Amino acid sequence: MADDVRSLTAALARDPSSLRYADLAESLRRRGQRDEALRVALHGLARHPRHADGHDVLARIYSDLGDLDRAQLAWGKVLELAPEHPGALKGVAFVRFRQGDARAAVEALERALAIDPSDEAAQRALESMRRDAPMADLPTAELPTAELPTPVAPVPAPPVPAAASPEAGAGSAGAARPSGAKARPAVFSGFDRATADILLLDERGLVLAGGLLAPNGADVSEVAAAGLAGVSGEAARTAQHLALGGWRTIVAEAESANLVVAPVGSGALLLVRRDRSMPVGLALRFAERARGTASTWLEGQGA
Amino acid sequence: MSAPGADRPGSGAAAAPPARSGPGSSAADELARALDRISRVRGMRGSMWVSADDGLPVAQLLMEGVPGRAVAALAASLVRKVSGSAGAVGAGRVRFVQMEAAGGTLLVALAPPDLLVVALADGRVNVGLARLEMMRAAAAVAR
Repeated sequence: MADDVRSLTAALARDPSSLRYADLAESLRRRGQRDEALRVALHGLARHPRHADGHDVLARIYSDLGDLDRAQLAWGKVLELAPEHPGALKGVAFVRFRQGDARAAVEALERALAIDPSDEAAQRALESMRRDAPMADLPTAELPTAELPTPVAPVPAPPVPAAASPEAGAGSAGAARPSGAKARPAVFSGFDRATADILLLDERGLVLAGGLLAPNGADVSEVAAAGLAGVSGEAARTAQHLALGGWRTIVAEAESANLVVAPVGSGALLLVRRDRSMPVGLALRFAERARGTASTWLEGQGA
Repeated sequence: MSAPGADRPGSGAAAAPPARSGPGSSAADELARALDRISRVRGMRGSMWVSADDGLPVAQLLMEGVPGRAVAALAASLVRKVSGSAGAVGAGRVRFVQMEAAGGTLLVALAPPDLLVVALADGRVNVGLARLEMMRAAAAVAR
């Protein structure tokens, strides 16, 4: 297994755009190196956001970490991209079973078996579920198959400050959260497009607060956060090599939006996306205000 | 300051040879003229044309002590990362990047398909003016 990781790491180093990142992430996951696996998977998906197998591995990692909500979202993404992906169907079955929705779990397994009747893992899981628990009251327990992810103790969700409500009311001037945005700490309440264009993440590329929506309304915060963690490291390296001191902001003017990236506190990172109609100077001021707010919130969390 | 193939006597700057065989003389002159205009912006410590793919300098005009090869490589790498993230957040193709740090500013204009205009400046730089000159140079090369 260690050789696998070494050879896959070397292959990725030779060709960073390779899809082998998914194999590497899976190998790391199986070795129990979940954080590293998560980092590899998220970075790979930042390059290949439509790679179904990459999302499948990501879902397994989240499942191992006990984050079933994110696992479910990732497997949902796989099924968007590849509706007959057997791994995702089994994953959905696992999550549904853990959530106590045995009927949905069985349906997902039956779909997996309809696609691949020879899938022994799915057969065993389905038989076991039907044998051990009646459909009406299947217990919330681990889906009995070695092929499916093995969950560990859930990772606590980021704490919400006492003054903050769930993000549902955190949009501009109390406007409703956009439909695609996930519920997260309402750090940027009062900012324009607080859950659609402002994202706070940690040094590992994991989302802390805010949110980023794609034009179609899909929440792309996690993919964006994974990619941005790399930007932070690159900026620090550049500033260090050129003896520029600590970096303060990166502004990127792009075709359809301007982006401002700024470090917050020790290791966190803020992204603000503004329409190109907003002058860059104004976008910078907006980002500076958001950074102050994020910094205050992080201090309140003891971060 | 120094430019490849066009070192200025008496400038007091170290000559930085071109990193690889450069473009033809007229194209090289055009690149050098663009760097010259950028270098006139207050606070500028150096400017360069860089190959976007491999981060190697194509032409440069640098104050003494500015590590041209490192600036080129780091700027290209930073732009690749920023471009990847911009794509991931639906911002589209990146045209200009500025990284402000405590001790200076790194500016990069993208000159498709394969060149970057890179400038390193101190804290006094007029970013707006530098950006204008760099975008103008990038547009001229891209034509």
